[in-house]
Amino acid sequence: MNRRLMPALLTCVLLAGCAVGSGAAAPGAGRGDGGQTGPAAAQRLTIALAKDSGPLNIFADQSPAIDELVYDKLLAPSPYVDQPRPWLATAVRQLDPSTWEADLRDDVRWQDGERFDADDVAFSFDYFKKAPTGTYTHHVSDVPTIETITALSPTKVRFVCAFPCPELGTVTLADLPVIAEHIWAGVPPDKAKQVTSLPVGTGPYRLVSYDSAAGYRFEANPDYFAGAPVVQELVMPVISDASATFPALRSGEVDATTRPLPPELIDPFTSSNDVGVVKTAPLRFPELRVNYDRAPFDQPAFRAALSRAIDRDQLVAVVGLGKGRAALQGYPHPDAPFANPTLSTPYEPEQAREMLDQLGLVDRDGDGTREGPAGPLAFTILANGAAPQDVRSAELIAEDLREVGLGATARGLDAGSVADVAKTRDFDLVIGAIGPHGAADPTQFIMSHRSGYLWRAPKLPYPEWDALFADWKATTTVEDRLAVLDQMQVLFNRQPTSIPLYYPDEYWAFRPDRFAGWVESPGYGVVHKWSLLPPQVGRDAGAVVAVGR
Amino acid sequence: MSRTCGRIGQYVLVLWVAGTLNFALPRLAPGDPVAYVYGGDAQALSERQLAALRETFGLDRSLAEQYAGFWTGLLRGDLGTSVQDSRPVVDVLAERLPWTVALVGTATALAFVLGSLLGAWAAWRRGSKRDAAVTSAVLAVDAMPGFWIAMVAVAVFAVQLGWFPSYGAVALDGQGLGAAGEVVSRMVLPVATLALAGIGGFFLLARAAMVGVLDEPFVRLARAKGLRESRVAVVHGLRTALLPVFTNLALAIGALLSGAVVVETVFAYPGLGSLIFEAVTVRDYPLLQGAFLLVTVGIVGANLLADLAYPLLDPRLRRVRAPRGTQLRQVVVRG
Repeated sequence: MNRRLMPALLTCVLLAGCAVGSGAAAPGAGRGDGGQTGPAAAQRLTIALAKDSGPLNIFADQSPAIDELVYDKLLAPSPYVDQPRPWLATAVRQLDPSTWEADLRDDVRWQDGERFDADDVAFSFDYFKKAPTGTYTHHVSDVPTIETITALSPTKVRFVCAFPCPELGTVTLADLPVIAEHIWAGVPPDKAKQVTSLPVGTGPYRLVSYDSAAGYRFEANPDYFAGAPVVQELVMPVISDASATFPALRSGEVDATTRPLPPELIDPFTSSNDVGVVKTAPLRFPELRVNYDRAPFDQPAFRAALSRAIDRDQLVAVVGLGKGRAALQGYPHPDAPFANPTLSTPYEPEQAREMLDQLGLVDRDGDGTREGPAGPLAFTILANGAAPQDVRSAELIAEDLREVGLGATARGLDAGSVADVAKTRDFDLVIGAIGPHGAADPTQFIMSHRSGYLWRAPKLPYPEWDALFADWKATTTVEDRLAVLDQMQVLFNRQPTSIPLYYPDEYWAFRPDRFAGWVESPGYGVVHKWSLLPPQVGRDAGAVVAVGR
Repeated sequence: MSRTCGRIGQYVLVLWVAGTLNFALPRLAPGDPVAYVYGGDAQALSERQLAALRETFGLDRSLAEQYAGFWTGLLRGDLGTSVQDSRPVVDVLAERLPWTVALVGTATALAFVLGSLLGAWAAWRRGSKRDAAVTSAVLAVDAMPGFWIAMVAVAVFAVQLGWFPSYGAVALDGQGLGAAGEVVSRMVLPVATLALAGIGGFFLLARAAMVGVLDEPFVRLARAKGLRESRVAVVHGLRTALLPVFTNLALAIGALLSGAVVVETVFAYPGLGSLIFEAVTVRDYPLLQGAFLLVTVGIVGANLLADLAYPLLDPRLRRVRAPRGTQLRQVVVRG
């Protein structure tokens, strides 16, 4: 069968399956506007998970929204809000530029009955330094570098950093989950990934069974320090394919899902009588990664021209079906707490042509493609062939580049090969996606310039960046750091190595007759612990925002 | 006996070659588990940490060492530890195998029985309108992709009618008879889909073989003897015509262990097909090796069984032991 027809065929059947039986509700009749009505509590919910994360070993696989049903952090809800608030901690304070102290709650117990105290916190941060996870590692071992973590008393812990770390109180302590010393002390850090026993946390739900065939079952923790959850039991089967997930939701077999609605299903589901839909603003976006190691992408001016050549309005209209915003404010996500609101990355093809001309990259033989020192400028845009949106984005970008005289061809690869070329940097341009950790965490923005993702500092020369990084390290307050981060963002978007394509909206479908307490927590969608706790708890923690913004 | 031993020796050789290919194939694909498991975050790890991870996965050893380790592990019954699941590969495969055997096995058996009977029936009425109608219908179903049938089945029987569940194999907290009923009800749609998708091959083979057999003299003789039509068709015709269909069945049984990737995906069924698909995506070398090995053993074993079973099914292929000093000859029995 023609490969191009396959996604269309699948979509048609999916639409047919999901639309079958849907009532003809009047538009705007309490659907999709955030004004969902229905039960605020439930005995049991069935929630389809988009991926199998194994027995929730956070050293082997991270699914923060699910992990945090079991685990808590010192601050809540995440680094993706302006000012995280005390959670396992009752207060955190910066004693000097490099030293922080946290006062801890004294009424918290682990789900196995053991008492939670400062030793657990000190152990957790120390363990994260020794057991690499990727996601959490840089928060303790690079930016910032936490040198010592000391339990001063059962309810007080001190963090000392190698250089000023004002963001500890807004980012780090709101990002790392706290694990139980009495569980993990017996596990050598290099064996942490191999642990398959069920997790024990302090969180509102305890994972009571996991089976790769049947999924997860959580029970509410009635003694949760913040209040008992409003849903007593969560059953979470793993349905890894969208074509199976949404018919199951439509038929009432599942009540919600961790998978947002694909754009083509938003309208049919929004007009359904049986299904509720809420809209959120996710802190994620598809991106075009540019290989800055390879000529001519190693030239800042060439990257600047590239950024101006891409029509993001077209991408959001065609690929995102209009459900989102064109990425005209660059990187990071404009809703990230540290995003510079003045950023601008417009579509200016005429200016792109002029910039390429100024670089001496002109079409000498009149074939429509510019030539460089090594011959015609023809590039390959790689994309995950199993993701139709990525492939379509690559095709549209290839057309945009041809408009300014750059040869470009879209090519699909399997997901494993895409990961490999990204790691080995064997690509010209590749379509990727960046989630909240990369798009909205300010320390990850720094780290991404040091890890090789956005740049490879300090190994790869970048004097302007190095100077800003030195300024950043020298600052001692959050405000000063944000000021330097503003400059870093301007510099980055002037000559980007990652070009955001569009900022999608996310729509989440659920069965309102079973439970309608879904709320948005920035970066987490709607399926997370704040939706499952009494509404006031999430509001008090500053963890939720109104859906349907 | 010596012939059987020779056959078994051939199959051992085939298994060795296949095992070597199983080891090599995952490694020929670009990338390694560290790249995928850690994704972009792999770049946030230090060289030391990456080296430790590669050591954990055994990727720091030379290819020759990995190959030797693969075979020594295999001889000990140790297929290694899954990168993705952090559990022994044997455990992961053992967890998924029963679901695939139940799903694909039931579907294959259904497709075999229905396809053969329908094919024989169509051949018996060859040239009639019924033959044309049934053949056209089966060919039309055979031309439909499995995922299409699966999605239509879900749309109609799960979403609209609500007769059967649309996903999964088992309820998390089921017990006793209720759980068994749940398993059966969750199997109905994927089994029906696979059976429909597989019926065409058996139908066409049975029909073609039966058409050939019906012109044989022994069938005419059976009719001339005044036997009932049904007896002529089933005992004399179908039994003889089943040999090529049986060959097809042996191949299908061999392939059974590779699961049914597409259908398992659409129905979120926890079988080997979806497991292999996930393992390919994350370059889970040990799991891929184990799964491929299982598939190889299944195919080779099914072929061996078919080889050994042919003489039992078809007397023409039997050998008889000749008196000492004479050459073996094949006894041909017709009709």
